[in-house]
Amino acid sequence: MMTEALKNFTFEDCKRSCMHPDSFSSLNDQSILVTGGTGFMGKWIAEMVSYVNETANFNIKLYLLGRDIAKFKVEVSHLAQKSFITLIEQDVRNVRDLPTDINYIIHAAGSPDHRDHVSQPLRTIETFYKGTQSVLDAATRLPDLKRIVHISSHQIYGTNGLESPIGENFIGKLEPNSLSNTYAESKRISETLCSAYRNQFKLPIVVLRPFAFIGPYQDLEKPWAINNFIRDGILGGPIRILGNGSTVRSYLYGSDMSYWILKALVNGGVGENYNLGSSEAISLVDLAKKISSQINNSIEIVSKSSKESYTYLSRLVPDTSKIVKSLEVNETSALDDSISRTIIWNQLNKKVIKK
Amino acid sequence: MLNKTNMTKLRVAILGSGNIGTDLLIKIQRSEFLECVLFIGRNLSSPGMAKAIAMGVKVSDESIKAIEKDPDAIDLVFDATSAKDAAHHWSILEKLGKIVVDMTPAKLGGLCIPAVNLAEAVKQQNVNMITCGGQASIPMAYVIGKTQKNVDYIEVVSSIASRSAGPATRLNLDEYVDTTEMGLMYFSKAKKTKAILNLNPADPCIDMQTTIFAQVENPDMEELTKEVNIMVEAIRKYVPGYSLLVSPIYENGRIVIMVKAQGLGDYLPKYAGNLDIINCAAIAVAEEYSKVQNNSN
Amino acid sequence: MIKQILISDPTLRDGNHAVAHQLSAKQIAIYAEAADKAGVPIVEVGHGNGLGASSMQVGLSLEDDVTMLETARKHLSKSKLGIHVIPGFATIKRDLIKALDIGVDVVRVASHCTEADITQRHLGFVRERGKEAYGVLMMTHMASASTLVEEAQKMELYGAEGIIIMDSAGAYLPSDVEEKITALVNNLKVPVGFHAHNNLGMAIANSITAVESGAKILDGTARGFGAGAGNAQLEVLVAVLEKMGYITGIDFYGMLDASDIAEREIMPQIPVIKSESIVSGLSGVFSGFAKHVTRISKEYDVDQRDVYRELGKRKVVGGQEDIIIEVVMDLIRNRK
Repeated sequence: MMTEALKNFTFEDCKRSCMHPDSFSSLNDQSILVTGGTGFMGKWIAEMVSYVNETANFNIKLYLLGRDIAKFKVEVSHLAQKSFITLIEQDVRNVRDLPTDINYIIHAAGSPDHRDHVSQPLRTIETFYKGTQSVLDAATRLPDLKRIVHISSHQIYGTNGLESPIGENFIGKLEPNSLSNTYAESKRISETLCSAYRNQFKLPIVVLRPFAFIGPYQDLEKPWAINNFIRDGILGGPIRILGNGSTVRSYLYGSDMSYWILKALVNGGVGENYNLGSSEAISLVDLAKKISSQINNSIEIVSKSSKESYTYLSRLVPDTSKIVKSLEVNETSALDDSISRTIIWNQLNKKVIKK
Repeated sequence: MLNKTNMTKLRVAILGSGNIGTDLLIKIQRSEFLECVLFIGRNLSSPGMAKAIAMGVKVSDESIKAIEKDPDAIDLVFDATSAKDAAHHWSILEKLGKIVVDMTPAKLGGLCIPAVNLAEAVKQQNVNMITCGGQASIPMAYVIGKTQKNVDYIEVVSSIASRSAGPATRLNLDEYVDTTEMGLMYFSKAKKTKAILNLNPADPCIDMQTTIFAQVENPDMEELTKEVNIMVEAIRKYVPGYSLLVSPIYENGRIVIMVKAQGLGDYLPKYAGNLDIINCAAIAVAEEYSKVQNNSN
Repeated sequence: MIKQILISDPTLRDGNHAVAHQLSAKQIAIYAEAADKAGVPIVEVGHGNGLGASSMQVGLSLEDDVTMLETARKHLSKSKLGIHVIPGFATIKRDLIKALDIGVDVVRVASHCTEADITQRHLGFVRERGKEAYGVLMMTHMASASTLVEEAQKMELYGAEGIIIMDSAGAYLPSDVEEKITALVNNLKVPVGFHAHNNLGMAIANSITAVESGAKILDGTARGFGAGAGNAQLEVLVAVLEKMGYITGIDFYGMLDASDIAEREIMPQIPVIKSESIVSGLSGVFSGFAKHVTRISKEYDVDQRDVYRELGKRKVVGGQEDIIIEVVMDLIRNRK
């Protein structure tokens, strides 16, 4: 159940992130389709559109396409009942015809959860390959399509060696004959599909390459360090750092993320790639300390690692200068604030029950 | 007696285009009592869908909506999706008055082992097929319950080929165990039951093998053996690949019976006896509905 | 550099195989207390095949899970209480919730070495409850190093904080250990562990090879009390590790005392490599089968060495104890 407090919470987030609601005037009276519309991105895009409609008095329509509409209605009832939102229950692999009034598409379907990728690798490949092809095929037949934003992944960069931050032109290595690269390779072929549809059918596609995010609607059970650190912290610890504690990541807050995506929808260059993420880098060790100090300083932090020293340091931090400059976006939430708001939201929402 | 020339085939739909659904479809094509009028999934490009289209069967990718659109075209629905989806489907199908043969462990309707309670089961609108291990083991547990006094405990262990266990099975082992134990309890009247499942990756693939253990004081092995043999024959009528591997023995204070289920090799190889046995049982149930309806017409 | 090795002691779990799962609450209490006093980091307790495994298939245990865990909990203060959990035997609802409520600290979720997918829900559940979760791959002599890496990586993603590979059949030679542990250490983020059996007399040598190859977790039991030919003898392991400069945190004299107590109080006989254990190890058969093979072979008067060889040929996995009967019946049939 979504309480007033929680609704206001995400509204405040959108208010902070959405510095210029008027910059979305070209979306007024337009329809946007979001595939993967019931996931983390879909929920935040719905929050942001809701905010923009309300504050700028726009009429932006949203189609959210997802596999489990019933779950969405329970999780975010305040969004599900908005009149500007239409929910479509469908498997993205199976999209054929889309509502003809759609002007914009945000293709965000497919789980980034690595547990799904290794347990169901074939479904993963199908979702990204066939799913992307189905959506783009259907898009070729839309009469008034203005822009598509394809949500790719930072994983397409492969191993990045010492390159940090990672710019859009960086190309790393990927071993294709490997179960653990199922997701990365699927995301790569999806981008290639985009370029083919852009060239053959002149589809106006912009590619975004997301890094890591945090904030409300991030499921703390997802197998990512920050999610698990926060969960372990709320549970009273210990917070476990698994693997190399020097690993470097960065986290963009949910409402910033959705503002940036919508900006790409309006102003993104066709055929361009943009990194979508935070430039505020942090090591896992420092991240764990930050989280423990925000919850309770006495929470223990333990490190568990297969090796004493690492020859390879994983640094997944985007160079965001391109998106910041060309789309006129900014990070409005410093990491400290992002973390504290995530913790508070999860506590308010009773997402983690301490036993 | 049914007069085959006047017989109306029961019109069935299959919900779920995975391995179970597709294998059911192939088996239905051979049935004198059933006609598959709609094969429903979510993804038209899945191998099951492709197979159905190639066979000339009407398909839909609209899930339960395909039935809601034209409910009068269908008499019975095989639900071969997931326990969660089956519950949602049933909430709709019950109102539409459709018979449901549930292949998932949703446990919404009466449990059915055709060799034991077929006639009773088809009096209900929703019949649950329990689990593959249940279809193999429960008939034996039932015979033990029938022939022995004071059955304290029954336990069944199934080993299946790793390759025959898809992602959903692997993620839902707990549901398998729960549902099988519930079925065992219901049919054997034992005081306590336990189910165990092993996945074996051996190459070549092993056939599905199930062992039934029972704790019984002073067992009547003669009567048990006689009834087990009768039961095996009854099961073989609808599961031709079912056989007794080890006849009832009394060893170390426990009754031991071992059975094997080899598949027909319809959609999946013969080692996938676990999928075959639950499908054969489901077909037997649907055919019984068809016979009952024809008899009452 | 300090080389710390985390020791997990399954004397009261693997040892239960050696007594057909007949360890009593009193015995559990006595050894738990001694191990706690010696500073053993993790004391694993339960039926030989772990939580929810008491069954006719693998043997009914004298005490139920709740009694065993509650007893151990009462007698452990410094040491963590660990359990072994195999999905397919133990369910979350029926078994795992209860165990966590009793106060289990460490849950090791195990599967056959090629079937890691079945551990996803259980590992996730343990982490959601804030407890320590490890992944265990059993019978690992049956899979290549690259397969083990793939399966272990799945467990890592499911939430495992360490991966232990078990030589459940006691079939490894040190070179096998080196190859597999090295591959795992190189490709995993989380610590790697090794669980030895002594069928070929290699338990200590293999355990040492494992740590020299980068393993950080070792299993060992008092006097090697465990299935078949037994495990790595913990008091020896502690001595050798100390001599080599590793730190276990276990008090050596305390460990010697604990194993003396264990010998006196819980072992009808000290593990020894019997003739059939050697054949079992060479055939790659799950050590937990030993008691069953001996009993059934005797009952039907067949040579248990033939039974092991046939079981090895059929590539049976842990949990398939029922196949022993079938194999024995087959041997009798073929003799006729």
